[in-house]
Amino acid sequence: MRKLKDLAAHMPPVRGLLPLIVALVAWQVLQTGNSPYFPPPSTWWKGLEPLIASGRLLSASLATLQTIVAGLAISILAGGTLGIMIGLFPRVERALGPLLEFCRAMPPPAIVPLAILFLGYDARMKLTIVALSAMWPILLNTSSAVQRIHPILMDVSMSLRLSLLDRIWRVVIPSVIPAILLGVRIALPLTIVLTLLVEILTSIDGIGALMIAAQRNFQSGQVYGLLVFVGLGGFLLNNAFTLVQASIMSRWPPRSVNV
Amino acid sequence: MADSVFECRSAGITLPLRSGVRPIIADISLELKSAEFLTIVGPSGTGKTTLLRMLGGLAPPTSGAVLVRGEVLAGPPEGVVIVFQDYANALLQWRSVAANVAFGIERTMSRAQCNERVRDALNLVGLLDRADDFPWQLSGGMQQRVQIARALALRPAVMLMDEPFAALDAMTKAGLQDELLRLRDQTKVSFVFITHDIEEAVYLGDRVAVLNGSPGRIEHIVDIDLPFPRDQITTRQLPAFLAYRYDLHKAIGHA
Repeated sequence: MRKLKDLAAHMPPVRGLLPLIVALVAWQVLQTGNSPYFPPPSTWWKGLEPLIASGRLLSASLATLQTIVAGLAISILAGGTLGIMIGLFPRVERALGPLLEFCRAMPPPAIVPLAILFLGYDARMKLTIVALSAMWPILLNTSSAVQRIHPILMDVSMSLRLSLLDRIWRVVIPSVIPAILLGVRIALPLTIVLTLLVEILTSIDGIGALMIAAQRNFQSGQVYGLLVFVGLGGFLLNNAFTLVQASIMSRWPPRSVNV
Repeated sequence: MADSVFECRSAGITLPLRSGVRPIIADISLELKSAEFLTIVGPSGTGKTTLLRMLGGLAPPTSGAVLVRGEVLAGPPEGVVIVFQDYANALLQWRSVAANVAFGIERTMSRAQCNERVRDALNLVGLLDRADDFPWQLSGGMQQRVQIARALALRPAVMLMDEPFAALDAMTKAGLQDELLRLRDQTKVSFVFITHDIEEAVYLGDRVAVLNGSPGRIEHIVDIDLPFPRDQITTRQLPAFLAYRYDLHKAIGHA
């Protein structure tokens, strides 16, 4: 029970939502009629209702969520693995450094046309773009954390006769977990942004596709409704991750997130 | 005395540094007998840590040879374990005390056997009740005891200790010194104990080797003939203790 309470301390206080609620109520009360740009909040829900009834909102949410979660998982695996290789072996760093710098500097939406050319309009393409772009903060955090592992820790594991694989598995990976979590902290909002962006750009199924369709049909209430829905989803995902991060970090000394 | 565990035959280490090739230690000839407590004392910059790393197989000698039980050393030898001065960085912060102690043995043993060894080792250093805490929740002296327990869990033949108590306060230090002597009696482990504290060297050692100069050489080896069990108050007041202390100070050059 205490643990739950400790974790709750990492959540933002609910009363922080008050200004938003006040603003929405004011909007509803002060609205003049049927503005196509500023539909009153009461129409937002009405706009969503048909999507809920037909089940399209649910299936689109699942598609979007799947891309976010799978994209994040791939970027953790790829970014973590590459980051550890780069941090451990200077030769890998020299070999891949310039190429990685180049790829990192490329704006993610710019690779959408190329990815479509190679992979077509499907979920694989979505995933590739999301994972490729969200990988960088994790990769960079991991490689610099590997380089900052204290040399004594390596002496200890050599002296205890650990093999290279054991050293990576038992020393390197656990030492960089705080840094990986910090990378994910940055990568998570990025995956959400990119998933929606790709969906809006390509109209492949997902919440982004629903939004662009609603906009093209001038259903402004629905656009706003979807916007709120997406905002809530992002808020929940970020907070869920904060809880996961806090519970993992309870094994480390307080404030030891070595950046 | 029984047969020798370690033997250095005019071993030396030369390192390529920015300022050119630099000899760190040279012409080290030493013998460590089984169940012996050898302390090595010397001022800073004489290669004490390098000497210990050489014995631990972390830094190969560039001249001469180091033999462990008659065989030429290649890499960290089995049954030899190092206890580092910097306990905070030598422990795995994310592992509980018990899991830290298991770190050296968990790959080669069954879970049950490993747990038993961890319990024994923690019991020897008096930390059984802190097994589930994390190292960063313990005091400095306790953390150093965790490191000693991790070494003991391996049931080593030799423990190499690199100024293990240098970062601790005087009272904690005295307690751990006595604990170490008790452990030697209980386990028959041989110790190579590096320190810059002359009194500590005399108090703990069966023999004290003086490392001095640059490159560091073993200048003297003094047999310490003080009665056991040693006692923090009475041993340190013995005229013989004070005489050793005087001789060693002189040998190092603080006359």
